[in-house]
Amino acid sequence: MKPAPFEYFRARSVEEAIDLLSEHGPDAKPLAGGQSLIPAMNFRLATPAVLVDLNEAVGLSDVTAQDDGLHIGGMTRHRTLEQSETVARNAPLVTAAMPFVAHAAIRTRGTLGGSLAHADPAAELPAVMLALDAVFTVRSRQGARHVRAADFFTGLFTTALEAGELLTEVTIPPRPVRSTYAFQEIARRHGDYALAGAAAAVAVDEHGRCTSARVALLSVADRPVLAEHARRALEGEPPTADAINAAAAAAAAHDIDPPGDIHASSAYRRHLAAVLIRRVLERAFHSRETS
Amino acid sequence: MILSGTFTFNGPRQKVWDLLQDPGVLAKALPGTERLTMSGPDRYEGVMKVSIGPMTAAKFDVTVTLADKQPPERFTLQIDGKGGVGFARGSAAVTLQEQGDGGTAMDYTSDVQIGGRIASVGQRLIESVSRMMMRQALEALDRELRARIDADASGS
Repeated sequence: MKPAPFEYFRARSVEEAIDLLSEHGPDAKPLAGGQSLIPAMNFRLATPAVLVDLNEAVGLSDVTAQDDGLHIGGMTRHRTLEQSETVARNAPLVTAAMPFVAHAAIRTRGTLGGSLAHADPAAELPAVMLALDAVFTVRSRQGARHVRAADFFTGLFTTALEAGELLTEVTIPPRPVRSTYAFQEIARRHGDYALAGAAAAVAVDEHGRCTSARVALLSVADRPVLAEHARRALEGEPPTADAINAAAAAAAAHDIDPPGDIHASSAYRRHLAAVLIRRVLERAFHSRETS
Repeated sequence: MILSGTFTFNGPRQKVWDLLQDPGVLAKALPGTERLTMSGPDRYEGVMKVSIGPMTAAKFDVTVTLADKQPPERFTLQIDGKGGVGFARGSAAVTLQEQGDGGTAMDYTSDVQIGGRIASVGQRLIESVSRMMMRQALEALDRELRARIDADASGS
């Protein structure tokens, strides 16, 4: 399996990458870790005329905690995210989800920006970023714009990125006080595309009442989905077992209409979603003493 | 894969029926249709390009045959598509019912088999893609229907 012919450019800087992308328009694709794009090219499912390699572009893989949140460069490898203490301290949900992202070999090459821009509906990081209400910095020749995760994923493998734009950085807002997190997914084998998954970011007030409950689901729609019904059911309430059960059932019934395939039917995915929402909420709320 | 659902058109049944029998309208409404022409009674041939996000458009030669026509209420479609990355073939049954509010409800059930490379690497995505294309097509048809009704109203 060999890709169709293409032109290759190695960008040395973000500016050069943006110039190349804008020059070649929709025929050009940025090459990040290449863990999805290259197989797709080898299958000839993707035949970009031009690749702009970002791997030598400087300044795209910094991880820094600042007052306005945790900043992560688009070319940061999954493996770096997985092992970073800065990430573990400021965005423990990312750390919790990383072992579920494909396999270790893929994580050494795969990047955060690549995973988000690819927007596979079964991918973990898009759901994690939605749960964390992250903001993506998108740069082009016209300058920079900021897109919230909720507005970024617009469909199957489709995002708010326009031709000539590059996702350069992700900002995860600072952790609220008394916030906790949990991630779970179900796959036939570890590392396979998940049949369903859930990422939860929750917070409580000093009386233990829920102030925020964001659960993002993966692999149950054409894009990551926020469990709105669960959020509405829990916010302002004490997160009792009954409240969590009701929230999970409501979200699985009303927030999703999962597609079926040979691996799992629509009804089975809905069932998994209810179970996973309940489990991540239980785990997140009950781990609050430790954080 | 079986895909079924109901879609409500904002217009009377006869107009919806006429719309669904017009290859020019179908060519505009079906996502990625480059060309769709009548090649015989109730038989259309054309070329469709299917692209999903960054994936390169896959070209299919498509033949659509209408059968079991009971105007303006029901018909079935036979669909046969072949391309470099695989094939799709199947049938769809369509029923139109008048609604009290002047709209028309369309019930559809389709059973489509997809094979070749596209199925071996994209199996988990087929239903999502099919749903997306169905939704785009129906919304485009409804827009066309509204345009026709508005044109009739301003012309009379």
